[in-house]
Amino acid sequence: MTSAASVPPAHARPAKPPRSYLPLLGLAAFVVVTWLSVGEEFGIGLDPGLLVENLGRGTGIWAEFLEPNWSFLPETFGPLLETFQMAVIAAAVGCGIALPVSFLASRVSTPNVATYLADRGLLSIVRAIPDLLYALIFVAAVGIGPLAGILALVFFNIGVVAKLLSETIDGVDTGPLEATRAAGANRIQTQRWAVLPQVLPNYVAYSLYTFELNIRASTVIGLVGAGGLGVLLNTQRAFFRYDNLAVIIVELFVLVFAIEFFSIWLRRRLV
Amino acid sequence: MTASVTLRPAEPSHARRNAGFIAAAALVIWAVLTVEADWTELAEVPGGIARLFFRLFLENGVDWTYLPTAAEAMLDSIWIAWVGTIIGAVISLPIGFFGARNVSSGLISNVVRQVLNAIRAFPELVLVIVIFIPIAGLGAVAGALAVGLHSVGTLGKLTAEVVEGIDPGPVEATRAAGGRALQVQRWGVLPQVLPEIIAFWLYRFEINIRAAAILGVVGAGGIGTVVQETIVYRRYDKAGMAILVVIVATILIDAVSGWVRRRIIEGAEARTDAGDVEGLGSPLRMDSDIG
Repeated sequence: MTSAASVPPAHARPAKPPRSYLPLLGLAAFVVVTWLSVGEEFGIGLDPGLLVENLGRGTGIWAEFLEPNWSFLPETFGPLLETFQMAVIAAAVGCGIALPVSFLASRVSTPNVATYLADRGLLSIVRAIPDLLYALIFVAAVGIGPLAGILALVFFNIGVVAKLLSETIDGVDTGPLEATRAAGANRIQTQRWAVLPQVLPNYVAYSLYTFELNIRASTVIGLVGAGGLGVLLNTQRAFFRYDNLAVIIVELFVLVFAIEFFSIWLRRRLV
Repeated sequence: MTASVTLRPAEPSHARRNAGFIAAAALVIWAVLTVEADWTELAEVPGGIARLFFRLFLENGVDWTYLPTAAEAMLDSIWIAWVGTIIGAVISLPIGFFGARNVSSGLISNVVRQVLNAIRAFPELVLVIVIFIPIAGLGAVAGALAVGLHSVGTLGKLTAEVVEGIDPGPVEATRAAGGRALQVQRWGVLPQVLPEIIAFWLYRFEINIRAAAILGVVGAGGIGTVVQETIVYRRYDKAGMAILVVIVATILIDAVSGWVRRRIIEGAEARTDAGDVEGLGSPLRMDSDIG
């Protein structure tokens, strides 16, 4: 090693890493896909000029939005309550089912590769179907009403919680597992005493989080007749009653914020 | 040390935990008893689902001649998600910087955060009904704009959080080397946060695919219209095909996007403690206030 002083200044700067063409390639792909996506022929035909021109078209409707018909408020309480109830039930059932499903979806708790892969595969299908699509399917299967909505939310929740929780289980400290096994525990006892205590706080946090998601989701699944505030949203939309819609939207806003604040407060206390 | 019995510490009180558990259980029981769902129908649910599944996929098989129509509609959904994500990314990047306490001022960051929270409160479907169908009319453009606006809410918040977590060293160094305010952001902050933020954009794209697949229900383009119409008109073999297309396309995009995401984050591993890789896969980072 030569001393620092003897190195000529020109060599003080380290050599640049070799240039990678991967980012350039990625950029080129990005430009092509974006060009296709906004184009008229293949994509959605986005014309910013036309959009700015039409900006005024909305003003008539927005003017109606700005004058909410507050006398409509009492009519919304029933559906609002239903939205809340659906969210509670679906979160409870969905998170309950998701617990064993997540244990089967992690290699830490399920060493059997076939079981683990089958569960993962099933989960990725469950997660690929959006909430409203579930609602459409269950309305077709069991008829309109909150029952279809609850079922839709349950599946949606299983997808969310099982993904989060299985990843948490993947990351647990394996020390306690070894200790429990060394103490003579069987497989289920190992899960109960070594894994579950480690992931329980996360599980509770995820459950609260899905409840929040449900409040938001249960307003939209009503658009296809699956109960809750969305049913009202859809009928008022169909009658172009923007003044009534404004009331629903303000209400939704207040509800989401209230639940979020409560949820954050509760989670802070948990941690 | 006294007798060996005292060596074991006293068990902490579980009273609070139990109270919380009982409260939650009571809430669920109340909801089950009071909701106006006909629980006697519950017995018919498995039969109803089995029947629908049979009709969708088995009765006549899925209608393969419908594949081109369904695929084209799904492609529209993918474009909506793509354009929406780009809109969200472009707008949220500067907004995120303004929302970060360490980069902008306390007042500005608070105001920005509240605005972002307000945007996030509305699902894309509500945004499209209220704001974008009046402007752009029915169609995919309205859908893409709604997806974009909602993405601004989530991505802006995440960007702000990532910027708040930077190492202040490079910022100081850039300033010491004579960098102006904008140059400090460009050379001191951006290189630190960009890999993680790009990974969030990709993750948001995956979520937006799901959002764009249902926007058609209110006439905002994509495959949602197809699924709804085929189910309502009881063209079950066609509906089965459309649902299959949604599932396959979503899983494929998840796989590709997830691979790119991992590639980007692993390239950045030298910088962080790589703990973010875990959190990245989780919508918790996307939509909630944990952490």
